[in-house]
Amino acid sequence: MSVSRSESSQLMPNRVIPALGLLALALVWLLDVGTIQPNRIVPGTGHGLVSAVGWGGAALVTSTLAGSILLAFLNLRGRYLIQLALLGLSLALLPLLLDVFASRHLPEDSPFARSSIGAGFWCLLFFLFLMLIETLGRLGSRRGLELLLVVVIGGSWLIFLQSEGLESLSLVREFNARPAKFEQAFWTHLALAFGAVAISAVLAFGLALKMMRSPGWQRPILGLVSFLQTIPSLAVFGLLIAPLSALVAAFPVLETLGIRGIGWTPALLALVAYSLLPMVRNTFVALTEVPENLADAGRGMGMNERQLFFKLKLPLALPVIIEGVRITTIQAIGLTAVAALIGAGGFGSFIFQGLGQAAMDLVLLGALPTIALALLADAVFTMLAASLKPTPATA
Amino acid sequence: MIELKHVTRRFGPTVAVDNINLTIETGEVCVLVGSSGCGKSTTLRMINRLLPHSEGEILVDGEDITTMNAEQLRLNMGYVIQGTGLFPHWTVARNIAMVPQLLKWPRDRIDARVHELMTLLDLDPATHANKYPQQLSGGQAQRVGVARALAADPNILLMDEPFGALDAITRENLQLEMLRIQKQVRKTTVFVTHDIDEALKLATRIAVMDQGRIIQHDTPENILRRPASEFVENLVGKQDRGLKLMSLRPVRQLMQAHPAPKRPEPGAEGLKEEDNLRLALSVMLWQGAEQVPVFNARGEETGVITRERLIQEGA
Repeated sequence: MSVSRSESSQLMPNRVIPALGLLALALVWLLDVGTIQPNRIVPGTGHGLVSAVGWGGAALVTSTLAGSILLAFLNLRGRYLIQLALLGLSLALLPLLLDVFASRHLPEDSPFARSSIGAGFWCLLFFLFLMLIETLGRLGSRRGLELLLVVVIGGSWLIFLQSEGLESLSLVREFNARPAKFEQAFWTHLALAFGAVAISAVLAFGLALKMMRSPGWQRPILGLVSFLQTIPSLAVFGLLIAPLSALVAAFPVLETLGIRGIGWTPALLALVAYSLLPMVRNTFVALTEVPENLADAGRGMGMNERQLFFKLKLPLALPVIIEGVRITTIQAIGLTAVAALIGAGGFGSFIFQGLGQAAMDLVLLGALPTIALALLADAVFTMLAASLKPTPATA
Repeated sequence: MIELKHVTRRFGPTVAVDNINLTIETGEVCVLVGSSGCGKSTTLRMINRLLPHSEGEILVDGEDITTMNAEQLRLNMGYVIQGTGLFPHWTVARNIAMVPQLLKWPRDRIDARVHELMTLLDLDPATHANKYPQQLSGGQAQRVGVARALAADPNILLMDEPFGALDAITRENLQLEMLRIQKQVRKTTVFVTHDIDEALKLATRIAVMDQGRIIQHDTPENILRRPASEFVENLVGKQDRGLKLMSLRPVRQLMQAHPAPKRPEPGAEGLKEEDNLRLALSVMLWQGAEQVPVFNARGEETGVITRERLIQEGA
């Protein structure tokens, strides 16, 4: 978002926020905010906004959204800052709705009863976030403000999730049933995804250099990594089982290293194979697209090829290479979830368990952290690429 | 001194440079001029070994360049190209410091040198040192390009159409700047251009090239007076030669000097001693004057130049 855009539009009515706000308002009234289940498997009964949080709560939600919509039309100098505060606060306090809902509807006498989050609540969360992003965009990029929001909203949710009020939430129940497994899944997921990215980054760098030195290798290498990308991921996970098992049977020493036909070995191999295409392509394109006249100038001034690479080509290529790492990381985090099918562990194991037991909240327990990890990786690498931009300012 | 002896360069079956002989004396500005594809850039790039020559030998100060380390050779040759080739991720100061850094000069010597060069090229160090090349105008960027080439005080300066991408006014300014700097630093310069006026203005000697051969290698005056072939005659402009010759000679050579410098009359307009005869004629035509006073650098009137003499002896 450019600063000039935010300034020129400062005094014009914003149309995006009212549209999002109206949608949120409609959906939160039309859809169930939460459901109460007598136990884990039986489908629960849904509750609309008024039923879930009472007239008081419904009025608060409605007036907050209405206030946000009105604010967008106001001709006020600092209206986007006020908007940001309003939305940030709403998002931070959103778990309060679930707390109120649970305390109103959860039967005291049945220990298996649980509350779960309904479509209306998810919609409200989603649209509030969109409105927040739009507001941040209008304010222009302010790193400090964004960080503050993440801390306030994230911190508030963590505190609420650990409080007693949300203890009945089925998502929390599923977590509380297996905290050790969750932690293990977290580390496995992280190790698999980032391990694959790290290995493929090293491989891709080597391959890109090879392609630069000997152009004859360009077509075969790019062809191979593109081909790897076209195989369906499930098939790769499956196809690797047999050859790896055979390999381990032939060389039992491999088994002592923890290599087996199923588990982390085929998962890591497949993840690396998938990561290669974006990584190789970005690295190669970034390094070769350094303008020839710059290389010519450098060479003509007396730089040798080594100096030319480290002082000119690599610094100019780095943001694009990191962009490749970013795409690859997000993709690897998602694919690692699928790798749970062949026993690799990670958050995917909760997803497949939940699907098997028809327990949707267990699926969510696997899916939500996967999404959060991907978003986090995206943000970190975007920031890294921006800070490494070779040409910080243009006239 | 740079000597090219029977130098040939082939690209596959095509001959880009065809058996040329060229000697560039120390301290002179040799301009290679010709239409595009005539081999002038190829010739330049063979001198710093960006292109190897296919046949013949190239000597720098008597030493065959193929026996030298290519990087060492280039570190002692400033190189300026069209479109500057400044590194976009380096500040102006760091770009200028490129070769001194490669030569591992101490930090404070580099800083002093960068400051000195920016001042020499009329770039204010305080405002420009920390800018990035994209924040400069085309003319400023090319000044930085020239400063970068001069940074380690090389003996030789190679310039490959350095002002080709600039607008006419900026180009003219930089040409004057280059003449001024050349007077101070006296580099052996090889300058490639397709613009004959630029060549006439800057060169001590011009090498006219066509189809990989040197057609004529001589002073600007001789090129104008005695073109070796019809090609050269057309290149310098047949009809235009009189004025072009006048623009080569300063007013000082043709003025009638006063016995002693005089205080100028207040408000008097006139010429400077360094102005060329072409400008003198233009001023006379415009003012309708028979003679115009000439001033020296201190503003004293040192003589007059008359229309009669100008017409008789100007070209």
